[in-house]
Formats: sequence, structure tokens, C-alpha cells
Amino acid sequence: MLELDRVAHSYGQTLVFRDISCKFGAGSVTLLLGGNGAGKSTLLRVMAGLTRPSFGTVRFAEKSGKIGHLAHSTFVYPALTALENLTFWREAYCLAATRDEMFKILERVGLAARACDRAGTFSRGMAQRLNLARILLLDPDVLLLDEPDTGLDAASRALLRRELLEARGRGACVVLASHDIASDAPLADRVLLLENGRLAHDGPPSPFFPPLAGAEQACCA
Amino acid sequence: MPKYLSLPLILLLSGCLSLACCQYLIYFYAPAEATMGLIQKIFYIHLPLAWWSLFSFFLVFLGSVLYLLKRAPAADRLCAAAAETGVLLSGLALLTGMLWARKSWGVWWTWDPRLTTTLIMWFIYAGYLVLRGLNLPRQRKGLVCAVVGVVAFLDVPLVFVSARIWRSIHPAVLGAQDGGLEPEMKFTVTACAVAFGLFWAGLVWLRKCQLDLRARMCASAGAAPQNGHCRKTTPHPR
Amino acid sequence: MLRMTLAVLRKDMTLTLLRGSGLAQVLLLGLLLVFVFSLSQGVGESLSARNAAAVFWLSSAFCQVLIFNQLYALEEINNSRLGLLLCPAPIQAVWLGKAVAGIVLLLLAQCIFLPATIVFLGQNLVGPLKPALAILFLTDTGMCALGSLLGALAQGQTTRESLLSIVLFPLLAPLLLAGTGIGAQVFGSVDPDGPGAWLGLAAAFDAIFLGAGLLLFAFLYTGDE
Repeated sequence: MLELDRVAHSYGQTLVFRDISCKFGAGSVTLLLGGNGAGKSTLLRVMAGLTRPSFGTVRFAEKSGKIGHLAHSTFVYPALTALENLTFWREAYCLAATRDEMFKILERVGLAARACDRAGTFSRGMAQRLNLARILLLDPDVLLLDEPDTGLDAASRALLRRELLEARGRGACVVLASHDIASDAPLADRVLLLENGRLAHDGPPSPFFPPLAGAEQACCA
Repeated sequence: MPKYLSLPLILLLSGCLSLACCQYLIYFYAPAEATMGLIQKIFYIHLPLAWWSLFSFFLVFLGSVLYLLKRAPAADRLCAAAAETGVLLSGLALLTGMLWARKSWGVWWTWDPRLTTTLIMWFIYAGYLVLRGLNLPRQRKGLVCAVVGVVAFLDVPLVFVSARIWRSIHPAVLGAQDGGLEPEMKFTVTACAVAFGLFWAGLVWLRKCQLDLRARMCASAGAAPQNGHCRKTTPHPR
Repeated sequence: MLRMTLAVLRKDMTLTLLRGSGLAQVLLLGLLLVFVFSLSQGVGESLSARNAAAVFWLSSAFCQVLIFNQLYALEEINNSRLGLLLCPAPIQAVWLGKAVAGIVLLLLAQCIFLPATIVFLGQNLVGPLKPALAILFLTDTGMCALGSLLGALAQGQTTRESLLSIVLFPLLAPLLLAGTGIGAQVFGSVDPDGPGAWLGLAAAFDAIFLGAGLLLFAFLYTGDE
């Protein structure tokens, strides 16, 4: 579905990572691990096409599917209501969802009661739920999640995990960058570990699950 | 002397020498103009300045297109060198034009289409240089400047035509004016333009080498080149 | 692409006219400019038709800088720019949507500036109406095509309004000359050449910068911080 070929990126003279080649298949969840500044976010941005890699290519199989990117930024317009926000993204993504369907999605993320309130009145967690609603509306073929848990409560996290597995069930290719190995490694089919600008591990999550002290250390070094 | 600096320096020196020789042509070979007298000699400096400044801007345009297509940092540095030289030369062209106008028409400034175009070009590229001075990440700055470099050059013909319509000057008048040069004058002004071309090429090349060196120095020091000195890069948000 | 253009246009109009500070800042600045220039009139004098037209277009130019800064700042609040970049439609849709939004807002502002110019600067609408409307539309189109392209410079909030005006104003010079040329005729100054040449120039400007906007916008509007 998505293939990286010898991708490298640097900011000015600072090399972030290099020589990253891997393929991501449909219906899979890949967990991307690495310490702060290891280049997880940059790699996800490169995969999403938001950042042009300094070297190498990113290829999408067959027709380039819809890409969902869920990161720290919520993409929410504070002066629009929750429903208006969704309506705007529906139009921008050229989707065919009806008003009822959008209401249903808002219900799924627990914002139905606040559908007609301005997003500016939402807390950070609620804004991120609205962002999740945008992703659900899009129903992406490639879903890139960049530490999506920031500011979310336990219920929202559970919701996110549920939706993530559902997306995999529909045949989406999910890549999740996270620090929470204990809860995320069991979900993953595969783990990538970014260390010193290279792929230090690419394989099944078994070495990381059950979480060993060594693995935790390796990621947080 | 480093090898890569020798060619631009030779160009620069030969430009200076030939410009010095041109002084002989200007003052002894070319006849004095009947009505304007000695002040007309400024024309032999004014015209090459204006021409080569316009050519610098054309070079900025070419470099910008190249940068947009290839993203080569060298093309970006070429644009920087050419734009700086262009602003310098067009500034001098404006000054000499003003001196000439003062003596021959009795006013410091006249809204002649070519003079107006040069002034507006000067403003546009001075703004471009301000943009270059901004503290942006290198890649982003390269892109922004390249886009403005292309847009600015697209504007040149429009500015010229609009200045002409504004002053209600029709093409025939200009043609007659240029055709009124005597052969000796024509030869002198061509020689001056060529000599100045050598000087200009040396100047742009030398500046480009300087910028290349700075980029290399900063690269080896592990910092990105910023506004005239090496600045340690702050960690980028990732 | 059309659907996304319309979506951006609709959202921007909602955010600016219904939910934001609206055009208040823009209108105030323009009116202030007209007022400041009216100070140059002595007792019983009024500005020449050409001067008045120049003041009108100057106010419009300043407004347009503010408008595009405002329009592009909307996308920076929660990094919505990244969301737009991920849309399947070409990113030029954002340029076009914002350019059209800019034209509408600028025309609205000009509905206030024109009477202000007539009242404060003592002008009369005496000239031909058709070329006047044509130049109004052509000049606004050109200004907004270029403004929407360069407004993207403000991405990441690294650049400020002052910078945008420094880069934009000299580039707009041909268009402002054309607007002033015909504006002067509308306010009663006589020009033997008529409006034809100016209209042609403004149309050429529009064509060149609509093309440039379509080609270059994608380079300028990117996911870089």
C-alpha cells in the first residue's frame, strides 16, 4: 500500500534519519517507536507527503488512497461549530456524507450534544475528538497517527484504539507513533524502532511484548 | 590564492582594466554632444549600469526557476549574488540618471519610462533582499525567494509598458532617440557595455563564490548559514 | 478542485464576515487613509481627479494586504494548513478560493471607500461607467491573484504585514497606475487616449499573474514549519 525507498531527511545540516526502506501492507497496524527527537513525526510527515524527503522516494500502491494524519495539531477552526468543521472537511475532501451520517460520527466520538457549539469553547481533548471525527469521516486508506493520545482522557484513548482496530479490519494501513509500548504493542502487527537516524528494529512486536525493561530502555534512550 | 577564486578575480580585474581603457574612448574618441556637452559623457556609464542591472534580474529569474525545478542550493546562492549586484547597479544607474537629468533638463527626476521602470525594479528587488535577510529555515527561504524572484521578473515588462502609457509616450519617439547616435558614440557605448559586462560577471561570480564558501564553512561547523554569520541551528520541532 | 475551492471560499466568508472581527480593521484603515489625504486640501479646494483616484487605489491596496494576511492566518490557528495539504484536490484550490474570497471582501470594502473618496475629497462621478466597472473588476482580480499567492508567505507566522506590503506594493505598480489612470477619467479628468490602453494592460497583468499563481502556489504552500 505504501512503500518507502531509501528515504533520508535532514533539517539544514542536521540529519534526522537516513536509508529507511520498508513496505506497509493493507490491513496492518505498525507501531513506530523511538525516543524524543528520533524523527518519528518527521517520518510520518514524509509518509503523508507533507514534508519532501531530502533523499529517496515515497510510493503509494495503485491509486493513491485517502491519507489521514492525526497529530498534535487538531486542524479545528475555533470560530466554527463542530458540525460546521466537519462539513468543511467533507467538502474539502470531496466526500458524500450526509448531515445524519456526520451526526452519527459526532455521536461515536461523544460530541453529539455539542454539535452546534463553537469549537473554540472545547477543551483540548474535545478538540482532538473532533479531529478524530474528521478522520472517521474521511475513512482513510492510510492512517498515520502521531502520538494521538496527547491530552486525551482514558475513554477517548479507548475510543481511538477501537477505531484504529476497526480501520485495520476495513483494510486500512495504520502507522502509529507512540511512547506507550505497554498498551500499543499488543495492537501492533509489526514494530519499527528508530534509533540514531536508522531503523534499529523492523519485525514482530514480540521483543517488545510483554514489555521488558530492556525494550523500554532502548526506546527511551 | 585559492584556485576557485582565480577566474572571477581575473574577470573582475580585466573588467577594471577595460573600463579604464574605455575612459580614453569616452573623453577623447567620442565627440562631445552638441547641446548637452560634457555631462552627456555620463551616458556611457549610465547605460551599461542599467543594462547589466536588468541582466542581473534576469539571472535571478533563471536561478529561481532552476531552484524551483531542481532545489539546488547553488541556484539559490546565485540568485542572492545576482540580486545584490542588480540592486547595487540599478541604484547607481538611478543616481547617474538623476545627475544627468539635473544637468540636461534642469530637474533631478523625470518620469521617463525607463527611469521609472528602473526605480520600480529597484524597489521590488530591494524588497526581495529584505526577504533574503529574514531568519527563515534555509529550504523555506530558498523557496519563498525563488517564487518572488520569478514573480518579480514577470512584472518587468508590465511595469515598463505601464510607465509608457502613463506618460503617453509612443514607441516611435523612443526609436528616433536611440537612432540619433553618431557611430563613434555607438562604438564607445558598446565598448563600455562590454567592459562593464566583464566587471559585472566577475562581481557576481565572486559574490557567489563567497556565499558558497560561507555555506561550506557553516556546513563543516555543523550550523546553517544565517544572515552573514554562522549561527548554531536551534533544534527543529519534529 | 472546484468543490474544494467553494468550500474554502464559503468557510473564509463565514469566518471573516460572520464570526471574526469582520472587515472593521480593514475599513478603518482605508477610511483613515482617505481622511489623511483630505488634510492636504486647503479651504475651498478639492483634490484633483487623478490624486483622488490614487488615494482610492492606495486604500484598496493597503486593505488587500490586511485581507490576505487575515485569510491566511485562519489556517495557522490549529495548523489546518496541513489538513488542506492532505486533501486529494490540487492545493491551488486554496489559492483560488482565497483569491475569490479576497475579491469579494475587497469589493465590499470599496463600496465604502468610493463614497468616502467622493465625499471627503470632493469628487464627482462624471466619467463613463463601463470602463470604470471593467477596471474595478480587472484591478481587483489582479491584486487578489497576486495577493493570494504572496499571502502564503505568511505561512508559519514568520513574516509580518509590513513585509508583505514591501514585496507586494512595487509589484502592483502597473495595476495601480492603470486603476488610477481610469479612475481619474471617471472623476472627470480628460484623457485623449481613453481607457483602452489601461484596460489592455490590466487584462495582461491579470492573465500573467493568474497563471503565475496557479503554477507557483504549490511551491509556496507546503507542510514545512
